[in-house]
Amino acid sequence: MPPKSKKINESEEDEQKLQAIVLTDSYQTRFMPLTSIKPRCLLPLANVPLIEYTLEFLAQSNHVSEVYLMCSSHAEQIQEYLDDSKWVSPSSPFKKLQTITSHESRSVGDAMRDIDARGIINGDFVLVSGDVVTNLDLGKVVKLHKLRKQQDRDYICTMVLKQASELHRSRSFIEPSCFILDKETNRCLYYQDIPPVDGAKSTVSIDPEVLDNVGEFTVKNDLIDCHVDICTPVVPTIFQENFDYQDLRTDWVKGVLTSDLLKKHIYAYITSHHYAARVESWQTYDGISQDVIERWSYPIVPERNMLSDQTYSYESPHVYKEHNIRLSQSSKLQSRVVIGADTFVGDGTSISGSVIGRGCHIGHDVTIENSYIWNGAVIGDGCIVRHSIVAAGAVVKSNAMLNSGSVIGFGVVIDKDVVVPNETKIVKTPIKTLQDSAMFMSSSEDEDSEDEDEVNHAVAKKNDVDGNPLDSSEVRDANVVGANGVGFLYEEEEDDEETNKGYSGIMYQMAQLNVSDVSVASTTVGAHHHGSKRKKRTYSTNSMYISGDEDGEEEEEEEEEDFHKEALATVERAMENNHDIDTALLELNTLRMSMNVTYHEVRLSTSTALVERVDHFIATDTLGVKDAVDKVFGQWSALFKRQVFEDSDQIDLLLIVQKLCCHLNESYRSMVFLFVLMQLYDAEVVEEDNVYLWWNDKESNTEEMRVVRDKAEKWIEWLQQAESDSEEDSEEDDE
Amino acid sequence: MSSASHVAAQKLDILVDTFISKLKRRQITGSYKIATETCQFLMRVISTSRWSTPQEFIQLIRKVGQRIQEAQPREFVTGNVVRRVLAIIRDEVNGTGDSLNNANVNNGAPSAPVDTSMFQLLSTVNTSSSTNLAIKENTRGQNDLRSVVIQGIRELSDEISSVNENIEAMTVDLIHENEVLLTPTPGSGTVLNFLLKASLKRKFTVLVTESYPNDIEECHLFAKKLAEANIETVIIPDSTVFAVMSRVGKVLIGARSVFANGGCVSNAGVAAVCECAKEHRTPVFAVAGLYKFSPTYPFDKDSLIEVGNSGKVMPFEDSDLVGKCEVTNPVFDYVIPEHIDIYITNMYVYFFLFINLFFQFIST
Repeated sequence: MPPKSKKINESEEDEQKLQAIVLTDSYQTRFMPLTSIKPRCLLPLANVPLIEYTLEFLAQSNHVSEVYLMCSSHAEQIQEYLDDSKWVSPSSPFKKLQTITSHESRSVGDAMRDIDARGIINGDFVLVSGDVVTNLDLGKVVKLHKLRKQQDRDYICTMVLKQASELHRSRSFIEPSCFILDKETNRCLYYQDIPPVDGAKSTVSIDPEVLDNVGEFTVKNDLIDCHVDICTPVVPTIFQENFDYQDLRTDWVKGVLTSDLLKKHIYAYITSHHYAARVESWQTYDGISQDVIERWSYPIVPERNMLSDQTYSYESPHVYKEHNIRLSQSSKLQSRVVIGADTFVGDGTSISGSVIGRGCHIGHDVTIENSYIWNGAVIGDGCIVRHSIVAAGAVVKSNAMLNSGSVIGFGVVIDKDVVVPNETKIVKTPIKTLQDSAMFMSSSEDEDSEDEDEVNHAVAKKNDVDGNPLDSSEVRDANVVGANGVGFLYEEEEDDEETNKGYSGIMYQMAQLNVSDVSVASTTVGAHHHGSKRKKRTYSTNSMYISGDEDGEEEEEEEEEDFHKEALATVERAMENNHDIDTALLELNTLRMSMNVTYHEVRLSTSTALVERVDHFIATDTLGVKDAVDKVFGQWSALFKRQVFEDSDQIDLLLIVQKLCCHLNESYRSMVFLFVLMQLYDAEVVEEDNVYLWWNDKESNTEEMRVVRDKAEKWIEWLQQAESDSEEDSEEDDE
Repeated sequence: MSSASHVAAQKLDILVDTFISKLKRRQITGSYKIATETCQFLMRVISTSRWSTPQEFIQLIRKVGQRIQEAQPREFVTGNVVRRVLAIIRDEVNGTGDSLNNANVNNGAPSAPVDTSMFQLLSTVNTSSSTNLAIKENTRGQNDLRSVVIQGIRELSDEISSVNENIEAMTVDLIHENEVLLTPTPGSGTVLNFLLKASLKRKFTVLVTESYPNDIEECHLFAKKLAEANIETVIIPDSTVFAVMSRVGKVLIGARSVFANGGCVSNAGVAAVCECAKEHRTPVFAVAGLYKFSPTYPFDKDSLIEVGNSGKVMPFEDSDLVGKCEVTNPVFDYVIPEHIDIYITNMYVYFFLFINLFFQFIST
């Protein structure tokens, strides 16, 4: 008996502990060009790498025992970082901390499928992205999660959302999202991503079916979605089943909520007491940095000294200093300033609303406002830095001026007296293409040389704002970095005219970086071939989809192929497991919608599956030709009823079937075809008139198609005969 | 042997790191809880640590003490407990360690008289490595020392947990019948127990300040508990303190930590209340367990005061204001010594002017 009770205890304990999946990769390119060198989760926020905030959050509550970090790009850097961190030491609060590298993953969906394939998940788990900053009490959410799990059998997930307001600085401006929630239970009824804040007024259309059996509901467009989800183990399997899901919200949440098949429920947890936000763009980077400095995220503040070697202490008004800082007597730290160790600040310098890293050198008479200067950067005398980011190791020489929104990349040197215009991003070495760096390891050789050629031109070409495509997206520009500077202009595919539209959040425009988020995931698939084309994207605000045309076709083809495979599998599965027709139809239909293919493809796939099955029966001698066809088509021809609508569709179907039968074994192919024809006719899938039309169609009479016509001919004749007979009959009757 | 000591060192590291991260994550809060947890922690440290001389032992504890204090520099209780424990160790070493002193003399090292004064507990004593003889002598006594010190800590822990009872014993002498008391520190358990105990013998009214924004929930809870004990309780807005002060007989505050000059750190808003009390010549009583008395001197007020969540002052949702105005939410207040008339501790009641004498007293 005693061992038994012990076991129960253990299992209880296990039940309490959760696993955590940290998505260290964002699968986006919003932090380019900096993310070409460092992954997003290692970028410092208030001098602490972002990943620390996430891990700290998981450690805070004692609910998480195992942490898995899904890495794809820069995986080795993340691994290296963690190996040196306190999280792997014996005193780590996690029993297990493991990085999982999946280079192939191109989206959250891929990562989730990978997780499912690896079979890591053995219970409820927390899904967070590696850029969350929060002081959330996970315990509360977990409690709620358990309660809901008991109450609702269809419950699969709780999303943590933070109450904010529509235009809050820490809320994403580029992918604001709208949640429709059941007022009483906070069940999420519908999710709609809406265009960026600056976009035209948008509408949210809700399928009335979604609102069935719902009392009151609220439409919320003022929440910060911090991507902290508590999930049941069903979640990865849903990703596995729906392999087209890419994004966690726009695909997955929306997909689950609108799916007729899944009937699963997702709930929201809205917190207003705790702080939770996600660094997913430059704008939120700025907002959240300020939040942390202004102590909205207390106790997640700099003097918490999350890294064990940090020595921050707090001084009013919101000034955080580490040990061993040299501040000249007349320098002024106005407010909201974080300064790392070994930094020197010269005379007459004034700093406000900024973060200065370790080992920086700030010269005399410098003005720094609302900027982020990372470790080891040097700012020369008399510089003015406003609303900018100066990455680690960059040098800005004296009297230079950095204007709003500029990003000075790792190791870039800006020469004396240079004025860096608004929204300029400068990198040390040119970045090949957007996709290359996003994928990091897939830069192809010839592209390299091509780029270098272009670089050698060293033309100081200015951006052409009115939309002329440039030969190359990066240009060695002495005008940008100065005569003795080091660095290239990094150019985004998309800029916008709204630059000075007066958003208080800085660098908002940069957030708009590139393609819309949805397309990032799907375009990266084809990126390898299209990289060079993509560079030449036209240069206008609306180019998002316009330029997508050239690669569109290929993508479509790929999609069709995917669809064909999947549809085949669906029908086969249905036949094997003897699903009812409605289910199979529903599945096919969902598939068709998600892949966006025509009914022709659906018919093709369905008939292929059916004919193949018939073939299988005959070839293995299980059934005779007629029995096989009767069995398969007798039961399943109903499928076509919802795939065939017009006369042309019927002809199309017949052609498909004919073609398929041509590929069968010579000995019985015409027989099969005849019986299929009869079945389809009997099931009223095809009408008589259309049979004639098809029979006389040129396409059905070609060399290769003709091989199955012989048997059918007799049937057609019989059909005609019967008709004329009946006509005669009726005529006779009339008489 | 070396591998065993290595394992022990590693164990110690884990112990210390875990405690530090607990402090940093604020999984332990409240001075009482921190004090008892620190005692537990030090006991575990002492039982896992290995050392060859008492000096080494003291060094080790000091080092650990320093680290845990840095983890949460505004919680002075950790430092106080560590000092008390060091005092216990030094007492033991001093009492039994004749051989040790001899060894030091033989070495020609400055035979520092082991000083248990709290002011000197943390001062550096340079000890040269002792001779083999001393080590031999001491290894015999090592286990004894260990168990004696652990016993000492246990006593200290008992003392801390019985603080409230001891303070309560003095209630009858300090509170009069039908008196009006004002307390601006509803979060203090000591104050609550003090009043509850007093209500058994006396009838009085308690005014509780609202303590917006940080302690408002505690305030309601506090008032509820008092009301349940049939004490007449009134919650007043923080702004009306001056207006009601003329009717108040005594102000009762719970101190978070008391410093060498007689000043103390308490909840935000207390300093203003004490200022009002001074204006009306109303006596201010501060209650604090002995473990809250710290020998440090409050030179830099900034370093004493914790600044809390800005979100409690103003809703974060208000995007028109967030980022456009500066919000500071201090959680603590420093009360200058002149504003406190009497300290009520678990051992004695002190007038603030004698607090220096008192410090000397408890440190001998």
